[in-house]
Amino acid sequence: MGEDRDSQLSRALLLFGALLVASGAPLRLVEAQRLDTLPPRAVRTIAIDERLAVDAGIRLGARVTLATTPGGAADTARVVALVRRRADPSEVARGDYQIRLHLDYLQRLTGAGDRVDRFALATRDEPAAVDSALRAVNAAAFGFRAHRSRDIAVETSTTFAVVSRFHRAIGVITIVASAIFLLCIMLLKIDERRRDVAALRLMGISARTVMRSVMLEAAFIATLGSVLGVGIGAAASAIVNWHYRGVYRTPLAFSLVTPGVVTLAVVLSVLLGLAAGLAASSRLLRVPPLALFGR
Amino acid sequence: MLLTLALRSLVRHRVRTLLAVAGVAVSAAMLLDMVMLASGMRESFRGLLLEQGFQLRLAPRGTLPFDTEATIPDAGAAAARLRAHPDVVAVSGVLGGQLHVPVGERTVTGTALGVDPRVQGDYELLEGADVDAAAPASGAAVRVVFSDGMLAATGARLGDTLSVAAGYDPQLRSFAGQRTAVIVGRARFRYLAAGQRATAVALPALQAMRGAEGRDRVSLFLLRTRTGADVDAIRRWADRVEPRATAISTETAMRQVDERLSYFRQLAYILGSVSLVVGFLLVTTLVTVSVNERVGEIAVLRAIGVARERVVAQILVEGLAIMGSGSLLGLGLGLVTARYLNGILSDFPGLPASIDFFLFQPRAAWTALGLLVGAGVLAGIYPSWRGASLPIARTLRQEAVG
Repeated sequence: MGEDRDSQLSRALLLFGALLVASGAPLRLVEAQRLDTLPPRAVRTIAIDERLAVDAGIRLGARVTLATTPGGAADTARVVALVRRRADPSEVARGDYQIRLHLDYLQRLTGAGDRVDRFALATRDEPAAVDSALRAVNAAAFGFRAHRSRDIAVETSTTFAVVSRFHRAIGVITIVASAIFLLCIMLLKIDERRRDVAALRLMGISARTVMRSVMLEAAFIATLGSVLGVGIGAAASAIVNWHYRGVYRTPLAFSLVTPGVVTLAVVLSVLLGLAAGLAASSRLLRVPPLALFGR
Repeated sequence: MLLTLALRSLVRHRVRTLLAVAGVAVSAAMLLDMVMLASGMRESFRGLLLEQGFQLRLAPRGTLPFDTEATIPDAGAAAARLRAHPDVVAVSGVLGGQLHVPVGERTVTGTALGVDPRVQGDYELLEGADVDAAAPASGAAVRVVFSDGMLAATGARLGDTLSVAAGYDPQLRSFAGQRTAVIVGRARFRYLAAGQRATAVALPALQAMRGAEGRDRVSLFLLRTRTGADVDAIRRWADRVEPRATAISTETAMRQVDERLSYFRQLAYILGSVSLVVGFLLVTTLVTVSVNERVGEIAVLRAIGVARERVVAQILVEGLAIMGSGSLLGLGLGLVTARYLNGILSDFPGLPASIDFFLFQPRAAWTALGLLVGAGVLAGIYPSWRGASLPIARTLRQEAVG
């Protein structure tokens, strides 16, 4: 019955054009006048997308003409509320505007009669309630089928799953590049200490102690660098969010610096620092102290 | 001589040099990928739009082609008006919709395209025959062309006869516009995703099957213009003569694509810049440290009469050698990673199979290489300046005293 739902969705697009069904759309009221309860044939009230209001210069109380097809039969409605979309990733790249209408008004405009595209059912807050309602509806229903919201979310989030996989792959490449860069810098940094290491060895400090001190220094530098990196990352994240929120006009967070990401960055940096410290100090300690002095 | 000295200097610290080359290779790979990503999608889409030579598209006013299910009425008269322009050589009307095929207890639904096979640009026939240009006689079977996805979903083969319908009421479980169809061909639909279920039908046949809502209507007109014609002038003319439609040129469509995919382009610019900076910093650091370690050696060279320019050149060659070898490795690595990343993004639902996010063009490789060589030269500037401006006597004394 997947085709049935696809068919319904496609018909919804056909019928509504730029209009969307009022129920369940992820919108937030930002400004409103009193909603009417006028009889169906009087001028009806609608709520429009805040972005549409800005772009088209529509104010509260304005009368607008609505049609389901370009140049088709139109009706006049009054704008009584402005709504703002919530942070829904599925709508980020869509530039279309949303309009909320009373269900009966939209049915009349579209000639859909006493029809809806979907029903949203709220069940009791019990784990088994959804399953039992699903079974009951599907057993009793004729011509339609009930789906779990979770299943629909999974089905419709393929785009984000793809983008997420792409980001992960880019992340792995970036981590490899950063790791090589870090390893190289740490090797150079420790290589610069060859004279200090030689002096310590000539003073009678054991190779093990020298190695520990070099590794400790490497770990310290790596930690300091990663903390600085986290700061730069947080600033970059803020800039990214600021920029894309402006571009797409959404409150959605595009970049998040989470504790997990910070932990991964710091742990990876410190481990790479320690590895570089170990590699460099091992090489240095194999060379006689006088040779390190260049004698 | 210059190159030998530079290479020996690099070989002296093998591990360090290898790490630097590896770092530059990864940066170069990322840079190439990002250059490919920044332009690939756009060029790929442009190629797709122009594949059949249709430079203009007319969609219902205020919409993009197939963005909604709105249609253009009086399509026959509109097509005649559009053909009247002396620079318009072909007009192809396309009606979109759905086709339902009952198969046993289930119904297979796919995209239906009503086309004129003589001028259509929506599919490429892979096997069998094409659809008819006209609607079949009353009671005769409609000739249809299926995509591989549709053939697989229905389990049908070329030559099979099926019952198809243009409408389906799920509540009453009844079909509308039902006809008998014979599958005459198999095709690749250019603008649909690989595996997507699609059917091509003669335009008049699909219009008739859709009843009142399809009568003399099309979803889109494709216009092919004469070579060298002013496409923008024809677009403006089409907008005037067809007020119920919006004429969209390839450039306009490209702008729309740019807007919708600006995220990927900006991501490419940001990551490409970061890759370039990382490669630059890596080479600068390495060459600077290398020069710092060899100040005594450089001072001796200067003392025995080696020209300052020669010292500068040697240090620059060191930087370029790292950047060059890393870049060459990186370009190969970049092609492999681009293929992998393209494989991930090709899973986007509904993406036409012929669209590539990462499109290799020689220009992309040259751009990446040029940027990296430029970064290599810049990376050598500071260390070479430091090497060339060493005070010879003081450096030699410091090196001797230790």
